[in-house]
Amino acid sequence: MKIAVAGKGGAGKTTISGTIARALARSGHDVMAVDADVNPMLGISLGLGMDGTERLAGIRQELSESGAEDAIHEHTIDGLIERFGEDAPDGVRVVVASRVDMPDHGCLCCGVSADRLLREMEAGGRTVLGDLEAGIGVLTRMQTGSLDVVLVVANPTPKSIEVARRAAQTAVSREIRVLVVANRIAGEEDLAAIRSVLGEHEMAIVPEDAVIARADAEGVAPIDLDENAPGVRAIVAISERLVALPV
Amino acid sequence: MSPVATPVPKPALWPIDMPLQPRPRGALWIGVAGKGGAGKSVLAGTLARVLARRGHHVLAIDSDPMPGLAHSLGVEEPEMPLLMDAAEKPAKGPWRLKSGIGPMTVVRRYTTPAPDGVRMLQLGKAGTDGLNPVNGSVNAFLGTVRRMHEAQSLRDWAIVGDLPAGPRHLAAGFSPYARIYVVVVEPTSQSAMSGRRVAKIARGPLGADVIFVASKVADAQQRRRVERLLGERVECEIPDDQAVRDAERRRVAVIDAAPQSAVVDAVQGLADIIEQRGVQSS
Repeated sequence: MKIAVAGKGGAGKTTISGTIARALARSGHDVMAVDADVNPMLGISLGLGMDGTERLAGIRQELSESGAEDAIHEHTIDGLIERFGEDAPDGVRVVVASRVDMPDHGCLCCGVSADRLLREMEAGGRTVLGDLEAGIGVLTRMQTGSLDVVLVVANPTPKSIEVARRAAQTAVSREIRVLVVANRIAGEEDLAAIRSVLGEHEMAIVPEDAVIARADAEGVAPIDLDENAPGVRAIVAISERLVALPV
Repeated sequence: MSPVATPVPKPALWPIDMPLQPRPRGALWIGVAGKGGAGKSVLAGTLARVLARRGHHVLAIDSDPMPGLAHSLGVEEPEMPLLMDAAEKPAKGPWRLKSGIGPMTVVRRYTTPAPDGVRMLQLGKAGTDGLNPVNGSVNAFLGTVRRMHEAQSLRDWAIVGDLPAGPRHLAAGFSPYARIYVVVVEPTSQSAMSGRRVAKIARGPLGADVIFVASKVADAQQRRRVERLLGERVECEIPDDQAVRDAERRRVAVIDAAPQSAVVDAVQGLADIIEQRGVQSS
């Protein structure tokens, strides 16, 4: 199964991606988390800490600076995962796709597109989860049917809802299933704001949660801080919903 | 529908009738960067207005393909970026700036007038086909910003660029004009990590100055948290302010909706720092 997470910057994509990856791994799935953001931070919400996350981004950098990139051109996708990847808690494997100082789309070593990367990594029955760059750029470059589902994360603010609307519309036009995640919901008014624009789509609701805010402030994985916090439980429930989807 | 067929009314040349202030000024060429959601657009829009009220000619640059700066400046977003009209598609090859159009012509003819005399230059916005329908504006935008430093007449202007989330646009050369980067950081680990990466590129390959701003901070403890997470000194702090959320919901500029708010006050302080730094560096 191939899942991608999209939305406006700051909407909670990375927190939701990391927590879903951990939850899927805990329920026995072989999870490949792909940090497809040119500003990679998925490591934080997976539980690798700020330093571990920066190191992970550095592996990608060092490989191209050392010229090793050319040497691994012909490697299989498994070989690439082996070289670029890092183990996160619960057995999640994580890779960073793009260099911070030389942004290019997708690509581990030879400029493959993000959707091809996700497709190839699915081989061997992996569950692939891609945390995309803020905005809709990567989605607009995706081919029809290249993902099983896109989680479109929306906060109850006008700009976040507008970006989510464009992301959902883009995914639908590519025949990709959309699940809107209404995030940081503090009350009926918040939910109504999101529903009024995105009401036609399937939706999951994640409540505003002080535990998630504290995890982000401290640079730890929310699921490690308190797996029973309402926000964390709501995200874990999304992972269960994803597993139940027909592929 | 082809974007070429979309009629764009030819805008009149904008008369530059505002007197330049006689006081000495450096080129205040600023890029506002940071993680998504940190408050870049609100800060950039308010800063542009504040600088304009202090007598600067101000060019506000919206280089985010997602909705961004217009409402924070207090202007409606044009449906089709005016820059489309500055570009042409040759029979062979990509869109390019029409010949003879330099940065100053772009500023005078293809920018949107905003309150207080600010001019807004806008990259096209992405739809389901990405930036393809507005590619002309993207190429015209790049052609303009790359040559901006050559424009003698812009030397006395303040430029405030609102950059998209993360380090991509700095690394890709979308803001070569910026001599000072205002890096906006919330008290979260992700925001701080973004801030560090942006600052590294700004100070390194771009050779620019960096001002860290702590954003959405509720108290002194949160400001210290930002400094600890960054490992850097914060020069200015923008408080967490309900006035911003209210203004965003109403799609108006916070400087119009709540001119006395703590946020506008804080941006005045930032403008002081920038004016001082700009003079020093010129």
